Amino acid sequence: MSETNDVIDRELTMSRAMVESIAHEMRDNEEVFYMGEDVADYGGIFDSTQGLLDEFGRDRIMDVPISETAYLGAAVGAAQEGMRPIAELMFVDFFGVAMDQIYNQLAKNTYMSGGNVNVPLVLTAAVGGTYNDAAQHSQTLYGTFAHVPGLKLVVPSTAYDAKGLMHNAIRDDDPVMYLFHKRLMGIGWMPAPDGPKTPVPETDYTIPFGSADIKREGADVSVVTLGLHVHRALAAAESLAAEGIDVEVIDLRTLVPLDTETIVESVRKTGRLVVVDEDYRSFGVTGEIVASVADRDLGALDAVERVAVPDVPIPYARPMEDEVIPDAADIEESVREVVSSK
Amino acid sequence: MVSPDRIREMYGDMLTARHYEERLQEEYLEGKQPAFDISAGPIPGELHLAAGQEAAAVGVCHHLRPEDTVTAPHRPHHVAIAKGVDLKRMTAEIFGRESGLGKGKGGHMHLFDPDVNFACSGIIAEGCPPAAGAALAAKKRNEDSVAVAFLGEGAIDQGAFLESLNFASVHNLPVVFVIEDNDWAISMPKERVTDVEDGSDRAAGFDMPGVRVDQDDAVAVYEAAAEAIGRARDRNGPTLLEVQVHRRMGHFMGDPQTYRSDDDEEAALARDSIDRIESELRDHGVDDDDLASMRDDAETRVEEAIAWAKEQPQPDPEDAYDDVFVNPPSGVTTEEPEFELAEVNADE
Amino acid sequence: MRVAVRATGDWEADVDETEGILVDWFAREGRSIEEGDTLCEIQVEKVSVDIQAPVAGTLDEIVVGEDDEFEIGDTLGWIRSE
Repeated sequence: MSETNDVIDRELTMSRAMVESIAHEMRDNEEVFYMGEDVADYGGIFDSTQGLLDEFGRDRIMDVPISETAYLGAAVGAAQEGMRPIAELMFVDFFGVAMDQIYNQLAKNTYMSGGNVNVPLVLTAAVGGTYNDAAQHSQTLYGTFAHVPGLKLVVPSTAYDAKGLMHNAIRDDDPVMYLFHKRLMGIGWMPAPDGPKTPVPETDYTIPFGSADIKREGADVSVVTLGLHVHRALAAAESLAAEGIDVEVIDLRTLVPLDTETIVESVRKTGRLVVVDEDYRSFGVTGEIVASVADRDLGALDAVERVAVPDVPIPYARPMEDEVIPDAADIEESVREVVSSK
Repeated sequence: MVSPDRIREMYGDMLTARHYEERLQEEYLEGKQPAFDISAGPIPGELHLAAGQEAAAVGVCHHLRPEDTVTAPHRPHHVAIAKGVDLKRMTAEIFGRESGLGKGKGGHMHLFDPDVNFACSGIIAEGCPPAAGAALAAKKRNEDSVAVAFLGEGAIDQGAFLESLNFASVHNLPVVFVIEDNDWAISMPKERVTDVEDGSDRAAGFDMPGVRVDQDDAVAVYEAAAEAIGRARDRNGPTLLEVQVHRRMGHFMGDPQTYRSDDDEEAALARDSIDRIESELRDHGVDDDDLASMRDDAETRVEEAIAWAKEQPQPDPEDAYDDVFVNPPSGVTTEEPEFELAEVNADE
Repeated sequence: MRVAVRATGDWEADVDETEGILVDWFAREGRSIEEGDTLCEIQVEKVSVDIQAPVAGTLDEIVVGEDDEFEIGDTLGWIRSE
C-alpha cells in the first residue's frame, strides 16, 4: 500500500469523517441503512448524516416517527435478521424513552441466546454540554451504557479516529454505541475547539476497539480521558509544560472494551493518575479507571485525582454550567495536586 | 356564545405571547449575527418559540383556575402566559438569572411555577403522564380541579402519550390532552411519520372523545375546550383535543428550515390567528383605539418583564450544587429508631 | 496563474443577508487540491454551504480565516493552478 506513505493533505471535521465512513459502508453493503429523527432532509441536527439522503434515498436514510422504542427496537430486530442498521438517538438524553430496547434487548439478546443470536447494530447518539442546553440535553451518560454488559462503547475525539472507529463499528458483529460529542462535530453554529479537525485518508481503514491512543506523551502525570476532554486535557498539558510538568494524555477512544494495558503502562511510568470525564462523578468512568489500575498494579499508583461532573444535573445558566463541566483549568489544578502530593 | 370580555382577555394574552416571542427572538439573536453561535448572546442554550400557536393555549387555558395543572412541552412560553405563570420570573429563568423560576437551573424548556401548577419538559410527550398523575391526585382527593397536557403533533407517536391516554381512560381521570398540530416535527412533515391525518383520531382507540379544531381560531378552541374541560370537571373522563396551529418561526432559533418550502412558510404566515380574533373583536364593536391600547398594554407587559429579567444578577457558580435534593444526603435527617427485637430461632 | 475562490453560488438566491462567516477550511496553504474538492464551509443566514475548488492546483493563500466574516462575492482564498 504505497498510498499510506503519502501525506494526507485533506482535513475533515469530525462529522464529515463520520459521514464518509457511513457512506463508504453503505456503498459496499446493501444491508447497511440509517434510521433516526431528522436524519433525511435535515441531515442530522448535529450533521451526522449530512448529504446521505441525496446519495442513498429515503429507503436507506430513513426519517422515523418520534417513537424511540419502536425504531430502536426495530433496528434491534432488523439486526437480528442479519442486516446492519445504524440507528440514531438525536440526544443521548432521550435514552430513557427506549431504555428497555437498549438495556434489556440490544445488550442482552446475544448472551441470553447462548451466542446463537447476534445484534450487529450501531446506535449513534449526540452527547455533551458546554452550550447551555440544561439537564435534559447535555449529558454524556458514558458510564450508564458502559455499565451494562453487552454493549461496546465508542467515543471518538478526532476526525481521523471518528472515521476508523465508525468503519469498525459497522463491521462489528456486536451492538456498538457510538457517542459523538456535539462540540467536536465542527458544526457552524457550535464552533469546535482546535484539534478534532484532522487529516483524514479518503480510503477506508479501521481502528480496532480497545486500543487507547496516547495523544501526547509525557513523563510526569498520566491524564486519562475521552471525547471533548481529550482536547481540554491537551490544552492543560500545554500550559503545564510551561511550568515544567510533562503530562501524558491518553484518549480511551472506546470504554468497552477498555484498554487497561495502555493506562497501566503509562501509570507505571508516571506514578500519577488523573482521570477526566464529562459524566457524573459517582459510580462512573473515573472510579472505574482508578479501580482498574488499582486491581492490576496498586503499587504503581502514587497519587490519584478524579475530575468529573460533581453529582448534580447539568444546570442551564452559564456560570453554573461552567462550574460543573470540567475545563482545562480544573484539569491543571488536579495535575498540580498529584504532582505536589508525591 | 363566548362573551366579548372573554375574547378581549384571550386577545390580550395572545398579543402578549406573540410580542414576547418576537422580542425573545431579537434578544436571542443578539451576538449571534452574522455567525449563528448557539453559545453566544444574552439568552443561553436552545430557544423554541411558539409564534402562531397562541390560539390553542389561550382557548384552553382561559377555562382553567390556578389550582388546575398544566404541563407543556419544549415550546412552552405561550402556554405559560395563558396559564398565568409569573412573566417576570419566567423571563429571568430564560435569561438564566438567579431570580428565575428555577434560579437559572432549568431554562426555557424546564419552567416550573407551582403557584399556578405549571410545568414543562424538554422530552417529547413526557408531560402526558404527570398530567394524568395530577388528575389522579384530584380524583383521589375528591377535588374538582383538572389537568391539561399540551403536546405537539409529533408527540402522538410516542409511547408516553399513548400509554397516558389508556391510563387516563381506564381510570376515568379529569384530564385533557391538547395536541398543537403545527404540521412539523422539526424537519419531518406529519404525513411522513404519522399514520393518521388527524391526531384526534387516536382517541377512538382509547374510548374517549377526540375533537379537532381545524383552524387556529381562539374562540373555536375556547368553545371546544369548554366541553372537554367541563367533562373533566364533571368527572366524566378524559378528552383528546387537537388544534391546527402554525409554526411561524423555525423549530428552534437557528433552524435554517432548508427542508421547508417557501410556499409552506408563507402559508403559515398568512393564516394568523391574531388577525382572526381581532376581526372577531371588531364584530363586537371594539374600535381601533381600543385595539391599539390593548396592544400597548401587552407590549408594556413584555418590555417590563424583559427589562426586569435583564437587571437580575447571574447565579453564583457555586449555586450549581444546591437543590439536587430537598434534604441533602450529607446530613442525617431522621434518627433510626431502636427496637428490642426477639431472637430468631434458626431451627424453626 | 492564481484563481480566486469566491463566496458565490446558486445559494445566493435563497439568502437576504449580505454577510457570512467562514466556518472551516479543509485544506491548508500549500496543500494540493483537485478541481471540485470541497475547500471550505461557510455559513450564511444560518445555512451551511460548501465551497468547491474551481480548479486543480495548490491552495496558495487563505484570505478569509476560520470564524472570520466576509461579504457575499468576496474572495475567500487563492489557488495557484498548474
